[in-house]
Amino acid sequence: MSTADNCPSADSCSTQPEANASIGRMNRPEELNRNMDVSTFVDSNGGLIDRAIYNEPAIYAQEQRRIFARSWLFLAHTSQFKKPGDFFTTFMGEDPIIVTMDKTKKIRAYLNSCRHRGVRLCRADAGATKMFTCSYHGWSFDLAGALKTVPNEKAYPEDFDKNKWSLIEVPNVQEYKGLIFGNWDHEAEPLEEALGDMRYYMDAMLDRDPEGTEVMGGVMKWELDGNWKLAAEQFATDWYHVNMSHASALMVLSPTGKGPKPEIAATPGRQFVSENGHGAGFPTHPKSRFDARPVHEYYDYEMLRERLGDAAVEGPMTTGHATVFPNFSYLPVNGSIRVWHPKGPNKIEVWAWVLVDKSMPDDVKDAQRLYNLRTFGPSGIFEADDGENWSEIQAISGGFVTNRVPLNFQMGIGSEREDGVYPGKTSELYSDAAGRAFYKHWAKIMNTPAWHERNK
Amino acid sequence: MSTPLSIGTVDDIEEGEAKVIPGDENGTGNDIAIFHAEDGNFYALDDTCTHEDASLADGWIEGTEVECPVHSAKFCLKAGTALCMPATIAARTHKVEVNGEELLLHPNVDAIA
Repeated sequence: MSTADNCPSADSCSTQPEANASIGRMNRPEELNRNMDVSTFVDSNGGLIDRAIYNEPAIYAQEQRRIFARSWLFLAHTSQFKKPGDFFTTFMGEDPIIVTMDKTKKIRAYLNSCRHRGVRLCRADAGATKMFTCSYHGWSFDLAGALKTVPNEKAYPEDFDKNKWSLIEVPNVQEYKGLIFGNWDHEAEPLEEALGDMRYYMDAMLDRDPEGTEVMGGVMKWELDGNWKLAAEQFATDWYHVNMSHASALMVLSPTGKGPKPEIAATPGRQFVSENGHGAGFPTHPKSRFDARPVHEYYDYEMLRERLGDAAVEGPMTTGHATVFPNFSYLPVNGSIRVWHPKGPNKIEVWAWVLVDKSMPDDVKDAQRLYNLRTFGPSGIFEADDGENWSEIQAISGGFVTNRVPLNFQMGIGSEREDGVYPGKTSELYSDAAGRAFYKHWAKIMNTPAWHERNK
Repeated sequence: MSTPLSIGTVDDIEEGEAKVIPGDENGTGNDIAIFHAEDGNFYALDDTCTHEDASLADGWIEGTEVECPVHSAKFCLKAGTALCMPATIAARTHKVEVNGEELLLHPNVDAIA
């Protein structure tokens, strides 16, 4: 293929090449990317979900194209990058990604695949470098993604132009209070708008400290059998499981050792419902909280009430749960932030960070870290309960009859409203409202062509 | 023998770091990298790796060796010898002299006479 084929016109290439003009440059038969209408899998008004969405390979492939290739996906925390060359490798859907700080201190993200023969360019989890050099033939790219050296370059045709073989860059990287998100759609709705009212609920974790937050240590990673949506949906919408799934953990954690009092087990609370698929639930009973004692003693609640407002301190700052659509979730009480990386329809790789306030003294940070590990680390007393349930759902999803029986998401139908206290629409704490909204948004964008399908 | 070139003081380059004296300043036409090695001494090599176009001053200094930041070829800072693949050609050395606090570079004078 001649280099002229790379350019819409010779002029546009000599001045400003279109971002990532190389993506999908070769034509493919349409059969390869055949999309199905998913509207009948999700009955968001009636509260029914077809189990095929959890284990059908064709739906999973469509999710890669229409969910992960066009949604804002969490990449990393700003505290992971201090000087140029610091990098962190992650995934956007199944696409491998390098996140790095360039020489101008800008955070950039690239497809972690050599432009030559496609090898994963950087295989370290994190570190510092000056160049990303491929281990296969030695093509080498700088922090701005530019191809700098090609061993034996003289053997390439005369019109071989290194400028046309830069790393594929994620065109849209934006930050919200320390959290870095990437989006392959350069025309995507800006991150803050896509988050909308969800920002208020996130602020209850991200904005307690004027200095902001930072992550501690490395990333905990573990694999679960199950579809990524089982985890994302639960963190968006499901307080209902707490008293049952986590019964043993609640016994251990109750101050009396005899279990929570009835008014705490049946705590009131609210659940935020976003039309963009995000969800957050939180108890509002003042004693329904499971925070680590040193952290609780550290906080100046009067200051927090002034900073965040009474409702935020009494609600989403307590023992809440939340998902930013599609696969970023967090728990404000212990600073667990995590991504549910899809690894095929039947497998999740969980990546979990410990988030703390920057101003916390070291001993308080450490108390939070240990508390995080005990409750929601890979063998945490709560975490293990959830993974077991998700894996159980998935394990039997292949049965023909099993798979044809819809799942129930009917709790709290019609309860969504503006309550005058919490921003946006909220439902009761015990409700499937955010789950219904999660799947409604999922179905909507699964049925909407993405940037890579436009003008075709 | 050429006249030595004053290239600053010993405090200008921290141990484990390097700085480049551009070709038009050092008179050879080729950039020269001055390394402050982990043995405390200063060494100079042609900055451009003999394998591909890369700056050795950007590389990783370990002991009295430098590893190219691009393809990981290693060179002896004392003799310029190429120590491993993919480099096969030695890097040109230049003599560095420490005169009190002052660093003097003798461009095109072999470090080991």
